[in-house]
Amino acid sequence: MNPKNNLIIALVIAGIIVMSYNIDANPVEFVDGLPNLAIVVKEMTDVEPDLFVTAFWSMLETIEMAFIGTVVGVVIALPLSLLAARNLNNKLIYVPLRGILAAARTFPSILWAILFVIMVGLGPFAGVLAIIMYTIGFIAKLQYESIEAVDSDPVDAVNSIGVSKWQLIRHVVIPESAPHLISQILYMFDYNVRQTSILGLVGAGGIGFYIINYIKFFEYGKAAVFMLVVLITVLIIDFVSVKIRDKYIVKAQKGMKVEV
Amino acid sequence: MLLKKLIKKSMPYSKLSTINTKIIIHMNDVWASYDAKNYSLKGITLSIERGTNYAIVGKSGSGKSTLLKLINGMMNPSKGQIKVDYQTPNMNKKQFRKKMSKIGYIPQSLGLVKNISVLENVLIGALPRIGRLNSLLKNFPKYEIEEAKKIIKLVGLKGKENRKTYTLSGGEKRRVAIARALMQKPVLLLADEIVSELDQVTAKEIMDLIADAQKRLNLTAVMVHHDMKLALEYANRVAVIKEGQKILEIGIDGEKIIDFQSGNISQQEIMELYNNESEK
Repeated sequence: MNPKNNLIIALVIAGIIVMSYNIDANPVEFVDGLPNLAIVVKEMTDVEPDLFVTAFWSMLETIEMAFIGTVVGVVIALPLSLLAARNLNNKLIYVPLRGILAAARTFPSILWAILFVIMVGLGPFAGVLAIIMYTIGFIAKLQYESIEAVDSDPVDAVNSIGVSKWQLIRHVVIPESAPHLISQILYMFDYNVRQTSILGLVGAGGIGFYIINYIKFFEYGKAAVFMLVVLITVLIIDFVSVKIRDKYIVKAQKGMKVEV
Repeated sequence: MLLKKLIKKSMPYSKLSTINTKIIIHMNDVWASYDAKNYSLKGITLSIERGTNYAIVGKSGSGKSTLLKLINGMMNPSKGQIKVDYQTPNMNKKQFRKKMSKIGYIPQSLGLVKNISVLENVLIGALPRIGRLNSLLKNFPKYEIEEAKKIIKLVGLKGKENRKTYTLSGGEKRRVAIARALMQKPVLLLADEIVSELDQVTAKEIMDLIADAQKRLNLTAVMVHHDMKLALEYANRVAVIKEGQKILEIGIDGEKIIDFQSGNISQQEIMELYNNESEK
């Protein structure tokens, strides 16, 4: 630990204290608030099992929305990522495109959802559109970054055969960046399910609609049912995606290590 | 059927080889540098005749890989002239890119696409011959697939056509790289230290394979080695490069070795000379 590091740590701590004062973050209030949390938790344990059926169907709707949003988003994002990769295109194409993609990512999907609710009205469709927008921005970024990180050895070697640019993309760049894509899509779906769960807050469909309404009316026991279903679903999706990842992606990574 | 035969006939092994001149590669006082400060090649002059198995030998950092990149147009010389089949190599020139489709270049890293199968890797060698739309759809003509399978069999990978490339051993990967180069129907084969990381038995197999293909297809092979013994065993001609300069060029005809400066020379003398020179 040298003096320079100490100084940086001191600055960070000082920064946190000043900023906490600015945003009115008071640990005392947190401690004082603990009994309130206890009340909520107690009421939450008072679950109403009848609601599980409703919760199940609304969760299914949420998953459907996330699925459509992810698939359509990825399909649109892939060609865009090819155009946004710096090693494949010139500035005139990738700079404006990257700007647009950054804008799509800047707004969280809940803001997109508000916009689409205004456009197409309340309901799941607005939610799906919001998920698509965010997925495009996110997957296109991840994908153009992995395209830019593609191993230059096969690219140079195949380029020396005298192939065209699009042949090079089709036969080298895409296969080399594809293993990342599977893991990115899985992550995106996982993320979109969680996102879609809260889109109901702005009336864009999904299970969040129930959660927010029951909380508004202080019916924590009912809200708890829906939150529990979200939790279980996310855990299941997580478990399944880990399995898929192990099966397909870890293998590909091993392949990279074997590379002589 | 007839049409297919016609198509095959209209694609001769090489249009280039019909031009009857002996020299395929000529370099005259070539200087090359990666950073415009330190030259990795300092005034190389050499001529390579068609059909030669030419070896370039030198220790690491001697500039021998640079030499191959210059021949292939992946790098441009800072000074001096290079002609490969009467053209100045430059991979950004459309005219030379056409020629590149007939130059099989195997870099030291091999440059295989690891997530696709052996067959798909080999078919990449045929891409310059395939129409744009078909190549984007991965729609290869049947005769090209047959050709690829034949070459895969030739390099000793029969039955492994559909294996993913990353699952192969080091020796097998080299066979795939050779197969991809042969799929180009090359007139010129450039290989950069293709056997340097292999055990002796595998190295010999790979070298025999290339020597066999080189004779059968009457290719010109330019191979870079750091092992002098290997060069003496397989090449007709050997150039020794040291610190960017050619310090020796010998011709080999069976047992006879000719030093172009001092006349006949024995294998032992060459080995001694090479070891001494490169240790200095």
